[in-house]
Order: sequence, then C-alpha cells, then structure tokens
Amino acid sequence: MATNPMHQFNVHRIGPEIKIAGVDISFTNASLFMVISAISICLLLFLGTKKRKIVPDKIQLVTEMFYNFIAKMISDTAGSKAKPYFPFIFSLFMFVLFCNMVGMLPYSFTVTSHIIVTLILAIFIFIAVTIIGFIKHGFGYLKLFVPSGVPIVLLPLITVIEVISYLSRPVSLSVRLFANMMAGHTMLKVFGGFVISLGLLGGWLPLSFSVALTGLEILVAFLQAYVFAILTCIYLNDALNLHH
Amino acid sequence: MRVFFLVLVATLATRIDLFAAEAGMPQLDPKYWASQAFWLVLVFTLLYISISKFFIPKIKDTMEDRNNKIKDDIDEANNLKNISEKKLNEYNLLIEKAKKEVQKILNENKNKLNAEIQNKKRIIDKEIEEEILKAQNEIKNLKKEAVGSIGKISEEIAMKIIEEISGDKLNENSIKAAVAESSKKNINKYL
Repeated sequence: MATNPMHQFNVHRIGPEIKIAGVDISFTNASLFMVISAISICLLLFLGTKKRKIVPDKIQLVTEMFYNFIAKMISDTAGSKAKPYFPFIFSLFMFVLFCNMVGMLPYSFTVTSHIIVTLILAIFIFIAVTIIGFIKHGFGYLKLFVPSGVPIVLLPLITVIEVISYLSRPVSLSVRLFANMMAGHTMLKVFGGFVISLGLLGGWLPLSFSVALTGLEILVAFLQAYVFAILTCIYLNDALNLHH
Repeated sequence: MRVFFLVLVATLATRIDLFAAEAGMPQLDPKYWASQAFWLVLVFTLLYISISKFFIPKIKDTMEDRNNKIKDDIDEANNLKNISEKKLNEYNLLIEKAKKEVQKILNENKNKLNAEIQNKKRIIDKEIEEEILKAQNEIKNLKKEAVGSIGKISEEIAMKIIEEISGDKLNENSIKAAVAESSKKNINKYL
C-alpha cells in the first residue's frame, strides 16, 4: 500500500478490457464494490423477508426498521403523494448507505467517494424531479422560481437566485456526498500514515485519533446517506406539492 | 470540506485531466468515468428492480399481515369479552332467579309446615283437653264412689264403736241416718 492518501481512490481494471463503441466500460474495482454493496443489500433484504414472521427475528426487524425509517422520512417530507417513489428512495438510500459502509472496511473501495458516481445519481434525480414537476403542474411548475409575497422590485433578483439555486441542486447534492466521503477517507489514511511514521513511541496519539475518526466516519456514512435521501425527498416534495 | 470544495471548483475551472494528475485526485481522471457510469446505472437499475418488484412488496405484505393479525386478534378479544360479559349476565340472572325460587320454596314450605304444626297442635290440644275432661269426670266419679263407700265404712265403724262401748246393738237405720247427716254436713269440704 502506498502512503499517498489519495491512492485509495484509484480505479483500476479487473479482468479483461470491455469496449463498446470505443468507450471503455471495463469491470473495475469501483464496479466490484458497487456489486458487493448491491449484493449485501439484497442479501440483507432476502434474509429479512425470508421467514415473514408475525413476531420478527433480528434480521427481519432490521429490514423493517429500514423500511419504516424511509417510509416515515418520505411521508414527513413529501407527503402521501410521494408514495409511488418509495421504492426508488428506498433503493437510493440503501445503495448510498451500503456503498458508504462497505467503504469503511479496510482495503475496500468507497464507490461514493467518486464525483462521477454521485453526480450521475444527482443528475438523474434532478432530471427526474424536473420532469415530474412539469408533468404534474405543466408550465405552472415554473412558479417554483417566483415565490409569492415578494415585493415586485425584488422579484427579478429573487427569481434569478431561485433559478440558480435550483440548477445548482445536482452539484450540491453530489459534491456534498463525494466530498464528505473523500475527506473522511483521506483523513483516515493520513492519520493511519502518521501512526506508521511516528512508530511505537509517538504513534499512539494519531492511532487514538484514527479510532475516533473511524467512529465519526461511520456516523458520517450514515448521515450522508440520510441527507442524500432526504434532500431527494425535499426536491420531490417541491415537484409534487407546488407551494413555494 | 471547504478546502476540498475549493479544490474541486479550481480543478473544474481548468483542464480536468491535466489538473487531476497534478492534484493527485483519481476522481478527476476521466479514464474510467464511462465504466463507472455504466456499472452504476446497471447495478442500481438491477437493485431498484429487485427491491421494488421483490423485496418491498414482501416487507409490505409481512407488515400488513402483522397489522391485520393484530387487528383480528383485538377484534376477537373484544368479541370474546362481549360474549363472556353476556354469559356473566346470564349467569347472574340465573343465580338471581334461583335465589328467588329458593326463597319462594322456603317460604311456602315454612308456611305449610307452620300450618301443619298449628293443625297438629290444635288436634293434640283438643285431645289433651278431652283426656283432661275424661280424667276429671273419672276423678269426680271416683270421688263420689269414694264418698259412698266412706259412708258405709263410717256406718260399720260407728256400729262397731257403739257395740264396743255400749254392748248393745243399735238400730241400723238410725245409725245410717246419723252418719248420713254428719257426712252431709262435712262432705262438701272434700268434694
């Protein structure tokens, strides 16, 4: 392992090179950990739904807790109209959460620490929400940019600001997740490097920091998945219940 | 975080691949972007399909089953409660009725017994009175008889006493008359 803290984010090909129409879509370690995360989710959900007991066992309880957690989050932020989008939000939250958590394992790869991954998710959400908004409200959806109760003089300025903030949604959404994950993992790596370089005498302080940071990073991993999902819900709420 | 954000903005502002190499951020190396995008879309789509088509309905069903079961159980419990309350009322009514009946039978029997006892008492009283009357009559008769025989005895005693004293035999009739006279005088004392 190299001591360069950014080395952990390197993407390298696993197996043969796959090219479709000149575009390289080879299977990489990033792909591998996406697959691992997805399989872990499926495994958890499979074990949690296998027995379907009236009185749930532990793993079933965990599954149902996730379910209720997301269901409550959606109904709290976006209301009952958002019910059809529950599977998507659920998948999104689970995928981000598991990618973050799998990334916390030593020697693993954090899929969500790559801007391209979070950006694609965010852009997809942005486009989907915009389309939903226009389908539900037609051109009335543009009222989102014109808040009511604002003095006419300020209206052009406010509208411009609203448009910019709306357009920057995918950027803020994706950068928030990516930057958090990358910063956390870099810090872990840096402190880990300190432990080695300071050795047996001075290494204890960075080691304790490293332990504390690991706990913090697990919290951040959960929190960022939650934030990602809840912001999606809030955007969805704007599109479904237009009242600005 | 802000630092990374600034770095990102700075990198995006310039030529990406050149700057990526300098900053050492593998995230900004576009070599595998297409691959990551492709695999992300593939994996996430499969995950979404399996979750929405397979897992979520199952979890939903399980929880609905549970809710239904709880509802059913509560309903059944309420039903049973109502039934048991009804039964309890019925039971109480029965007990009340039985108590009343018992009271009735008890009273009837008491009255009957009382009446019978009174009857028997009356009959026995009558019998006793009759017996008493009979006995009193008998006593009266005996007394009368006794008075008669006392007269005779006194006559004989009187005759013998007179004979012993005087050595004469007096006229029987005169003695009789004397005894009858004296007994007539004193007999009322004993009757």
